[in-house]
Amino acid sequence: MGEKTTMSVLEGNNFVVSDLHGDIDASPTEALGLFAWDTRFLSRWILTVDGQRPNVLSMDDLDYFSVQFFLVPGTGTIYVDADQSIIRKRTIGNGFSEELTILNHKDKPVDFNVRIEAAADFADLFEVKDHLTKKGELYHRIESNRLLLGYRRERFVRETLITSSIEADIDEHSLSFTVHIEPHSEWTTRLDVAIGLGGIGEHIEEAKYVRGGQRTRSQMKRSLEKLSEALPRLSCEWPSLQLTYSRSLVDLAALRFYPLTLAGQALPAAGLPWFMTIFGRDSMMVSYQALPFASEFAKASLTALAQRQGTRIDEFRDEEPGKIMHEARFGEMTAFEERPHSPYYGAADVTPFFLILLDEFERWTGNAALIQQLELEARAALRWIDTYGDRNGDGYVEYSRRNKETGLENQCWKDSWNSILFADGTLSRLPRATCEIQGYVYDAKMRCARLARTVWNDPELAERLQKQAAELKRRFNQDFWLEDREFFALAIDGDGRKVDSLTSNIGHLLWSGIVDDDKAEAIVRHLMGPKLYSGWGVRTMAEGEGGYNPIGYHVGTVWPHDNSFIAMGLRRYGYREEAAQVALHMLEAATYFKGRLPEAFAGYTRELTEFPVEYPTACSPQAWASGTPLLLLRAILGLEPIGNNLLVDPAIPSQLGQIELLDIPGRWGRVDAFGRGRVDTMAGKNSVF
Amino acid sequence: MSDTTQAFFERLATRDYEPLLHSVSGTIRCSIEDAGSWLVAVNNGSLIVNRDTAEADCMFTCSREDFERMVVGKQNPTTLFLQGKMQITGNISLAQMFQRLFPDESLSGEKQA
Repeated sequence: MGEKTTMSVLEGNNFVVSDLHGDIDASPTEALGLFAWDTRFLSRWILTVDGQRPNVLSMDDLDYFSVQFFLVPGTGTIYVDADQSIIRKRTIGNGFSEELTILNHKDKPVDFNVRIEAAADFADLFEVKDHLTKKGELYHRIESNRLLLGYRRERFVRETLITSSIEADIDEHSLSFTVHIEPHSEWTTRLDVAIGLGGIGEHIEEAKYVRGGQRTRSQMKRSLEKLSEALPRLSCEWPSLQLTYSRSLVDLAALRFYPLTLAGQALPAAGLPWFMTIFGRDSMMVSYQALPFASEFAKASLTALAQRQGTRIDEFRDEEPGKIMHEARFGEMTAFEERPHSPYYGAADVTPFFLILLDEFERWTGNAALIQQLELEARAALRWIDTYGDRNGDGYVEYSRRNKETGLENQCWKDSWNSILFADGTLSRLPRATCEIQGYVYDAKMRCARLARTVWNDPELAERLQKQAAELKRRFNQDFWLEDREFFALAIDGDGRKVDSLTSNIGHLLWSGIVDDDKAEAIVRHLMGPKLYSGWGVRTMAEGEGGYNPIGYHVGTVWPHDNSFIAMGLRRYGYREEAAQVALHMLEAATYFKGRLPEAFAGYTRELTEFPVEYPTACSPQAWASGTPLLLLRAILGLEPIGNNLLVDPAIPSQLGQIELLDIPGRWGRVDAFGRGRVDTMAGKNSVF
Repeated sequence: MSDTTQAFFERLATRDYEPLLHSVSGTIRCSIEDAGSWLVAVNNGSLIVNRDTAEADCMFTCSREDFERMVVGKQNPTTLFLQGKMQITGNISLAQMFQRLFPDESLSGEKQA
């Protein structure tokens, strides 16, 4: 856990990452800058006073969308009592607004030359990641008190407009101010940095160059307050849980992404800084995690993803009729088809997950209108599962990318190229049918059978789906089962071989309900055993497997969101203590990160490191990690919609004491859930709390 | 090639109902430079196509060449928009749904798999 070196403010589609001075000095390896729509609109933003960068006193992130930097004029080397203070107050919203104030504490007047150096490289996020060079031309314009930085490639135009509220001396690289401050007085200016996307849509053009200042800030405050008012309130004896809950909600609010096609509705983006966009998998999994708290995320995700459902065969985008998209991007490389994200469809699990979320949304909200509205999309998704999804006609969904150059090799949640390994560490062959996808398909068909019966008025479809699901379950329990090791294979590969590593994927099978009852005990034994269980959570791959690496992205690290779904799976099969233990350990881990769980942490055993070691290049906040405490709360409170009622069946670790979740919204109106920690988990003996 | 735009809208007009637009209602003006303008009124998938000049909920504008490339499946609608070569005004979700109609297989001359 290294010292924090950057400070971020974000709001939906744009964010600023600066250093602790508030400066942006982007380098190929550091994602510093003002980013929006997958483009860096500022790559340099450096304040100097009389040619020197000020020293940092402190920072204060007021909310996720505003931050203050307290500085003193630079003295070169060491800090001496300063006679002046510098305050940079930054608020994000369609670019950002920065209020720069200098206070003179002396009883003599002072004079300074204040300079803001500015530059924009308009790098696509993919270019930042892969260190690529630009193909178009940069330009600039100087107008009264305004500096415009622009980039053009054919008709693709991106612009950054910097405006000062007071007169500035402007050249193409900077805005300078000759400052005179009387004794005990102050000097201030507001710098507005607005972004423009030439040619994309009238309403962006309209919003172009809107000032970021007070008006935007109050709008964002209102939007946060509005969201907060609607959320259930948590009251608990264990104070860390309160902190984690609040942190999760604030982070999910910050990660709201507003697709242009949804007229003001927001869905969860996947994470900061690299994944501030619509993802099929992440947006839906977070929406699922958040359903008992804020169902509007699920509504927005389902609607936006239905709008983008595949309708044609497109090799470059891995698009197929009925398939739900994986990732949408808006930058230059996507625009010019140097990357396939317009959108990219390379995911095999998200189409069944779409159907799962659709049903779960109805179970919680009773909103049949959306289910009716999306009926044809749901039917198209079911068709995809049985046709394009099942490439070889063996009854299982398997994947192999059509786009061999820039497509994804692994189209499941463990999407790094080397995640699907045999126990001896060798790589399996494509196409791969990973086990959890079959679980999702089973669940999707069972759930759509319910929707066909209750909403779509199609009992014939219901019966067919139910039969198919039962047959899938029967075959899966034979074909994927490893008799000698007593767990389900991670996948069946292109050669028809069972990929025999022990992995966390078997936990998702419990969540889906595809596991035969007589096999559940063995699965739980593996999940909670020392090879998979690190003491903080279930590892992605078990210690002892050939490919295991405690700091390998998908082959040994512990992922919080993975564990939240596993906890739900344990509850589904009646393993209350085990679910409570997974929840407790993950919530304990969160305390080491001030309530903000990282995307992943190392798979080292708890006794070895005593604290969870954050995975080095992970995003933070990462949406499905932020959603994890919410789903864990659901798991330990045992919240299940039953018709128009909410069933509460708590299995709370005794360490957590009393938990009250008040005003849970749903088809029942609002209800409260109470529970007292009575479950003595195995955790007691190695818990530090 | 020169009749592709005309043929696209004529075919659309005979379709009456388009399941891909089943949950869509609204009017879309397709303004094709050097070819003219068509108004497509959608009501839960039912289609009426004409040359009315009435105001629409959504309007998109692009060159005839780019439009015909979309019709035959050689240009992706989303990247045309992202490149700044298609302007969309009004309700952008209508345009998002309308792009499902590209390519028109009968005009693309290529069978989909």
